[in-house]
Order: sequence, then C-alpha cells, then structure tokens
Amino acid sequence: MNEIIQLNILQFSLIYLLLILVLILMKKSKISQSKLLLLGTFRMSLQLVLAGFILTAIFENPHPLFTIAYVAAMVIFSITRILRKNPWLNSSFRWSVSLSLTLTGLFILGYFTQIVIGVSLFNPQYTIPLAGMIIGNAMTGITLALKTFHESLTSGRNRMETLLNLGASPKQILLPDVNRALETALLPTMNSMLGMGIIALPGMMTGQILSGTSPSTAILYQIAIMVAITAAVCLAVFCSLHFGYRSLYNQRNQLNLPR
Amino acid sequence: MKELFRTLGLAVNGIHYPDMITEENKITFLTGPSGCGKSTLFRILNGTLDPEEGSVLYLGQDVRELDPLTHRREVSLVSQSVFLFPGTIRENFRQFYQFRELPEPDTEKIHFFLSLCCLVADPDTDCTTFSGGEKQRVYLAVFLSLRPRVLLLDEPTSALDTTTSRLLLKNLAEYSKKEGISLLMISHDPGLADEYAESRILFGEGCRITGEGGGSHE
Repeated sequence: MNEIIQLNILQFSLIYLLLILVLILMKKSKISQSKLLLLGTFRMSLQLVLAGFILTAIFENPHPLFTIAYVAAMVIFSITRILRKNPWLNSSFRWSVSLSLTLTGLFILGYFTQIVIGVSLFNPQYTIPLAGMIIGNAMTGITLALKTFHESLTSGRNRMETLLNLGASPKQILLPDVNRALETALLPTMNSMLGMGIIALPGMMTGQILSGTSPSTAILYQIAIMVAITAAVCLAVFCSLHFGYRSLYNQRNQLNLPR
Repeated sequence: MKELFRTLGLAVNGIHYPDMITEENKITFLTGPSGCGKSTLFRILNGTLDPEEGSVLYLGQDVRELDPLTHRREVSLVSQSVFLFPGTIRENFRQFYQFRELPEPDTEKIHFFLSLCCLVADPDTDCTTFSGGEKQRVYLAVFLSLRPRVLLLDEPTSALDTTTSRLLLKNLAEYSKKEGISLLMISHDPGLADEYAESRILFGEGCRITGEGGGSHE
C-alpha cells in the first residue's frame, strides 16, 4: 500500500474553491439559498474539526466513559432533530420514537462490534464511527417515515373518520398508513445498496481506502455496515411507528389525530 | 315506543346540550343553524367522541360502558363529507366490507341498495367519474347495506336536487320502517322535515331546543 498523502492547509483550502462554482450556478438559477450553503459549509467544517479534536483526544486516552458520552451525544442530537422536525407528535409518540432509536441503534451497534467484529463496545475507534453511521441513518429513516405518516394522517382524515364511524377499529384504519411509511423509509437505503460499488464507492469505504486500508478489507466493512444500516433503519422505524401509532387512539377506540 | 337515546347534561367544546330523548323506529329530524353542535352530537351518540360532561344512554345503557366497535356497528354515522375509495362501486363495497370483516356482497344486493338510494348504475362503474350527488348515494348505499340498527344521517341529501332528495327520503322511510331501523337525520331542508319527520328536534342559538314534533325531548 502506498503511504497516505497528508493534506496541508493550503491544499485543503483549495477544495472550497468549488463552492464558488455552486454559488454562481445558484445565482444563475435564482436559487436564493446561498446563505444556507455558506452557513452549512461553515457549520459542517467547524463541527468536523471539533469532532476531529475530540476523537483524537479520545483515541489517545481511551476510556469507556468517553465512548459512552460520545455515542450518547449522537443519540441525543438525533432524537432532538427528529422531535424538532415533527412537532405534531404527542408525548407518548415522542417517547416511542426516542426509545426506539436509542434501543435499536444500540442493539445493532452492540451486535456489530461485539459479535461481528469481535471488539469491545467501548472501543472508540470502532464504536464511534459505526454509531455515527447507524444512528445517523436511523434518524433519517425515522424522519422520512414520520413525514410520510403525518401526510397520510392529514390527507386521509376523512377516510379515517368514515371508517371509524362505520365500526372499523383504529388499528385496522391506521396500519396501512404505518406500513406505507415504513416502506417509504426503507426505499432509499435499499436503492442505495443496488448501485453501490458500480455507481459510487461509498464514503466510509472511500475514507478507508484513502487512509491506506486494503480495498478488500474496506469492502467487507462496507458490506457489513450497509446491512447493519438497513437493519437499523428497519428496526428503528418499525418500532417508532408501531409503538407510536397506538398513541393516536384511546381505549374507547376514539381517534386523536394531529391537526 | 321504546326509548332509543337519552342525553343527560351533555356538554362538549363549550356547547351545553339540553336533555333530550329519541324513540326507537322513528324518523327524527334535527334542525338548526350551522355550528350549534348537531354533528358533534352525532359523534357523541355513536361513541366516536366522549362528552366533557354528562352522559348518553342508548337503550338504557351508558354509551361509555358499551363495547365501542359493536356500538358503532349498531349505530352508524353517515357523515356529511363523503368518502369513497378510488375504484368501482363494487370495489367500494368490497373495501368497506373488509373493514367490517364481512364477505363482499353479491351484485343483486349492491343493485338493491343502489336503487334504494335512487341510483341506477352498473356496480362496475368507476366512482371517480361520479358527480357529488352520485357519490353521496353510493356512500349511503354502503352504510345502509351493512344493516345498522340506527342510522345517524348528517345532511344525507346535501348534494341532491329536490326531486331526488324527496324520492330518497321516501325510500329510506319505507325501508327503515320495514327493517326496524331508527333514523336520526340532520337537515337544513325544512320541506323534508315537514314531510318525513315523525319527531323533530329544533336547535336554537347556543343549542337550546326551541321546538319539537312528536314529543322527542324533555
């Protein structure tokens, strides 16, 4: 393997020049989001630099508590983001989403590190990057599922009320929408698996190869992480919706739909 | 006549309902200005909404003590806003029946209930091509075919012309008498009420009962 070429600051800063192209195209297409692009780039850079410092410190002084704290921060950030994007969720639904993301994410992470790789769950070098991918994708999946489910609830209100008036149970009425939302959330992950390796080399694999890992090892990790992500998205969305939708009706089978 | 519903001190969403009684096997009309809580009262009667105060007795039993799904199947509410599944009349019957865990009705039965609702149409016609009035009649036909004991009809003729409205009401009145179905109907058409009401509850401002026909409130 060739040794990795270290980027100096000047080389690194050249990449930002590409953003000028994006800004020109946005201006030409009358997309008034240049502020968002700049803010996004700034925040992404700052957050990653900070993450780099923190990760370096953790890797140099490994301790289970640091790993736990980092993963906990990821989980809390993801939950906050989901809840902020879905203010229509009632309190029980919020708990369902939060617990589902936490427990399913940790379960997949534990299985991957302890059983598949055979390293400790508290090993920061493995656990932190894997947690980022698993929890991040589960967060995206849940957000998409909740968006789809909420759209079904608002656009299908008349259907739901009619069926309720007729004597159908809320479970019968809501389950088709729950299943549709799960399907919608899973599609992007499954589609990305179809094109993987042909259309694109995924980020994690690219990163590993660039940093000197042999492609065959990088590929095995990539396959494993893709399967883990699919399982995490499916489990987290399934649990969030299946425990959450029950909070939309009471014991008297009356619907309490969000406006 | 047997007592069907009795309401006691009902209040919901700031509306206080006067106590009232309706009788079984009668056609009871509820009339009054929009927004006085008639549709909300129907939701309370079939148990899809609980009152904040007071109670409703159905055949002498508190609605809250009854199994909600069994009660709604017995006391069906045909709401004002029509909902049909995309597809043919037959597919609509099939889908509604599936939600009630019932086998699909045969063509003869579909024809019977369509004609009862004054609609001459092939069951394999796509409902999406129908006018508002036609959709309303398919919707009503589905509910009627499920043989409830009580039908709560919220403006069932709002999308129909006067002639069809009267014909539909005539058919409904005859069929309900024959089958022992009690009808409670919200209508803004005073002519219909004059012609078909056996009992009448008039709601005034703030939901005060201002009159009746047939001794239906206390």
